[in-house]
Amino acid sequence: MLELFFNATLMTLGLALSSLLLGLVLATLLALGELSRFRLLRYLTVSWVTIIRGLPEILVVFFIYFGATHLLFLLTDEFIEISPFSAGTVALSLIYSSYASQTLRGAFMAVPRGQSEAAKALGLSSGRCFYRVILPQAWRHALPGLGNQWLVLLKDTALVALIGVTDLLRQAQLFSSQTYEPFTWYATAGVIYLVITLISQHCLDKMKQKTSQHIRTVNV
Amino acid sequence: MMPESLQEYLPQLLKGLQTTLELTFASLLTGLVLALLFTLILSLRFKPLEWLVRLQILLFTGTPLLIQIFLIYYGPTQFPILQETVFWPLLSEPWFCAMLALALNSAAYSTQLFKGAIDAVSAGEWEAALAVGMTRSQSLTRIILPHAFRRALPAYGNEMILVMKGTSLASTITLMDLMGYAARLNAQTYDTLTVFTLAGLIYLTLTGILTLIVRFIERKALAFSN
Repeated sequence: MLELFFNATLMTLGLALSSLLLGLVLATLLALGELSRFRLLRYLTVSWVTIIRGLPEILVVFFIYFGATHLLFLLTDEFIEISPFSAGTVALSLIYSSYASQTLRGAFMAVPRGQSEAAKALGLSSGRCFYRVILPQAWRHALPGLGNQWLVLLKDTALVALIGVTDLLRQAQLFSSQTYEPFTWYATAGVIYLVITLISQHCLDKMKQKTSQHIRTVNV
Repeated sequence: MMPESLQEYLPQLLKGLQTTLELTFASLLTGLVLALLFTLILSLRFKPLEWLVRLQILLFTGTPLLIQIFLIYYGPTQFPILQETVFWPLLSEPWFCAMLALALNSAAYSTQLFKGAIDAVSAGEWEAALAVGMTRSQSLTRIILPHAFRRALPAYGNEMILVMKGTSLASTITLMDLMGYAARLNAQTYDTLTVFTLAGLIYLTLTGILTLIVRFIERKALAFSN
């Protein structure tokens, strides 16, 4: 039983981390879309983000999982099942990115314009300027927000138990129906989520210290 | 295809909407009352109670809402003794369990919010209020709380939307809310895209209406600022 719970914990962590990676990429794209010069692109990204944020997370997960199967059926006339893990990852990263893009947008805007002008004056290409000058500075502003959204993402991973991924919650469900001890198993799963949350918070605090160590502080 | 299926699906979804609205309203109200009580306990530093509130916040903000709902609904069945108590009719009722989980969850997040807002009011405002001769309770109700309220309101608006979205999880413990009907229609008809798009549109409308209400209250309540 212990081993199964351990595997379920790894599944939850794997799901959360892969959604985080995909979500960060999507969030960067969305943030750039919202800051774009083209009005149409701006409207499209803002509407997309508003829609995802306005829907219950469980609906997004179901929409992606059942909807993708339905869409593939309509397109190909064959019943193709997509794996719950990948559907869950896509859904969770969509949810994460719609919140994280707002944080990133704010962080990008917090970097003074002079920074990119100076980089351009030094002859850096726009890609290099973004990667070497803007991103490292925006990162410091974005970290607290992204960290909070990571904690939300971690808790949202429990939703994929409903589409059949054997994560912590699903494992607790299985054990509960086997042993008729729902309280024990749900509480155990809850404690593991709590421990992961606390460890994450600790790491985030350390990272926050590291990103702001060059900031001058005044001891009064 | 569209009009007939709309006629078929919409009445069912709207039936679920009523449950969603009732659940949202009841959880928000209970959560708000609890949060105000918890904030009071934290602000006044009632020692043993303060620890309990801190533990409640840690537990309910550190674990997924879905686990909290399952724990409250399925958990008590493990203890047969509970079935003889007066609480059993309530604890075996999915509506009550979902409401309780949502209220406790919302109370934990709202307490953090309110306490943060009160702490963010600067010490200078207390001193200024006391200096012009106000009593402590006068300064609290006339100066500190209005300012804290102003800070907390936009964030509490977000919390209201989160609770409304959270009610959709009640469908996992057999409650037939909007999401519950949507899931059942999906299982019956396999018309996934239409059913979930419809349900999504209803949820988006709710989010929109809530946002407008919060904005209206903000404008009314914060009319003194600017």
